Amino acid sequence: MGLQAYLTLAAVVFGIGLFGVVTRRNTISILLGIELMLNSVNINLVAFSRFSGDVTGMIFTVFTICITVVEAALGLSIVILLFRVRRTVTADHLDLLKG
Amino acid sequence: MTLNSGMPLAIELALFALAVAVLLKGIIGRAGQDPRATESAESVGRAQRGSGSGTGWMTLFGLLAVFVLTFFAEEGTSILRGSFVQDGLALFAKRLFLASAAISVLGSLTMRQYAFSRRSAEYHFAIVVSVLGMSILASARELVLLFLAFELMSIPLFLMTGFLKREAVASEAALKFFLVGTASSAVIVYGMSFIYGATGSTALEAIPAGLADGNPLVQLGMVLLLAGLGFKIAAFPFHMWAPDTYEAASTPFVAWLSVAPKAAGFVALIRLYVQGMGDSMLAWIPALAALAGITIITGNLMAIPQRNIKRLLAYSGIAHIGYMLIGLAAFSSSGIAMLLFYLVAYMFGNMGAFLVIETVSRSEQSDGIDAYKGLAQRSPLLALSMLVFLLSLGGIPFVAGFWAKLFVFWAAIERGLYGLVFLGAVLTVVALYYYLVVAQRMYIDAPERQEPVRIPGLLATAIAICMLGVVGMGVYPAPWVEMAQRVAATLFV
Repeated sequence: MGLQAYLTLAAVVFGIGLFGVVTRRNTISILLGIELMLNSVNINLVAFSRFSGDVTGMIFTVFTICITVVEAALGLSIVILLFRVRRTVTADHLDLLKG
Repeated sequence: MTLNSGMPLAIELALFALAVAVLLKGIIGRAGQDPRATESAESVGRAQRGSGSGTGWMTLFGLLAVFVLTFFAEEGTSILRGSFVQDGLALFAKRLFLASAAISVLGSLTMRQYAFSRRSAEYHFAIVVSVLGMSILASARELVLLFLAFELMSIPLFLMTGFLKREAVASEAALKFFLVGTASSAVIVYGMSFIYGATGSTALEAIPAGLADGNPLVQLGMVLLLAGLGFKIAAFPFHMWAPDTYEAASTPFVAWLSVAPKAAGFVALIRLYVQGMGDSMLAWIPALAALAGITIITGNLMAIPQRNIKRLLAYSGIAHIGYMLIGLAAFSSSGIAMLLFYLVAYMFGNMGAFLVIETVSRSEQSDGIDAYKGLAQRSPLLALSMLVFLLSLGGIPFVAGFWAKLFVFWAAIERGLYGLVFLGAVLTVVALYYYLVVAQRMYIDAPERQEPVRIPGLLATAIAICMLGVVGMGVYPAPWVEMAQRVAATLFV
């Protein structure tokens, strides 16, 4: 399989993630969409790195994985905080701020 | 005296040490308290006398010390094979970040909410870490470092937005800001992966060669990066997080949030698109000009119906981002210089206005425009300073904002962007309308209450500093312009 196949896979995963972020109403599902977007980046980086024989991409991947974990932790804690205060995690119910 | 040339990281190391010190002080202070202390008035009072304001003062003096340190840093050094540079732009941006953070901390020292006294160390730790991220971002000339610095800057901001965690709006705003922020980070890093793949390197120096080859992957990467950075600086159509976040978060923090991360976003844009792209940037001018124009229109028109002053300033801030994008779209040494000048003028004007809002909202318990009725009769000095800040934001002669707008338009005319300048000038009048609506409340409407607004001394100091900046830059802009031009000239060699 060539580089093209991996890039296509990454693009599809990124697209699914973005679609989830835009269409999902449950904030946890939105978080999952963001995780997919970030992980498609890892596929891209590792594929580029493997096909060019340059390790920088692999190192970049390690960093993006760390950032993804931090963001998942922070995102879920904000959702838990929100649920404690408001008893809902549905995006449509978050309408105290608008205008 | 200059620092050893092997120490371009001195500013970052000092910030890191400050962050650790603030956190340690918080932990030690917490250990002395009763862990079961509840929100009784007694424990609130004790916390305020104790570690609460102590960490605040420590952070303030630490930030000022690092600010002084930037004047001893040697310009033009770089380490890690050029991926971390200490050039004029980096030092300029670092001073801006540190000064705005110090003003914000000065404004939040007298916060009376329980969370601020009890969890003061966490709040100030988050601010210092975020400044550390911005500071690394200003120096980064390499994609991995740029991305990490961006995240180091952004993650504490999400946290601080939801800092008043018992309030229903705070967590909602934090979640909205977080979702938009992380989604944009994902777009940014997706773009970076294409640039790396196409150029085979993560150094920004490799980008012009990749673009010159006409490699579509580099083009795609740069477009994705522009979209992601558009989120961060709240340009149209990625601006919707700003008003919600501003309304719900604590005002001294918002004063800083509305300035420093935007400035950091512009530094990243300058590094990527001006320094990184070279002459192939010329093809991007129409896109940037269109982005600037739409952002100005949206910001100004959406601001008109607002009845909450923080939302009003949020939309006006979006419009200001558009004016700064004009400076970027001009893509010339003077355009970048005027963008930097605009950032400084915007920092003083916007932070000052937000600090006045904080003062009024503490006394009136309201952020509505109607809370300003008759302010001129109740507290003439406070009303006058608000008026000056609003006029500066609106661009009236002899305050800082006027020169900022004029200079940005000037740079755009040199590039031949006449339509954009015309649009910007017309919408300045629209902006004056909604700024003057606030002025009318303050000066013409009758007050609902007579007693003067209580102004805490530290807030008054912070407002006075912003006032000095706005008036000083307005009356005598020459030294600031020269400084900005000197910084911008080094980017075009």
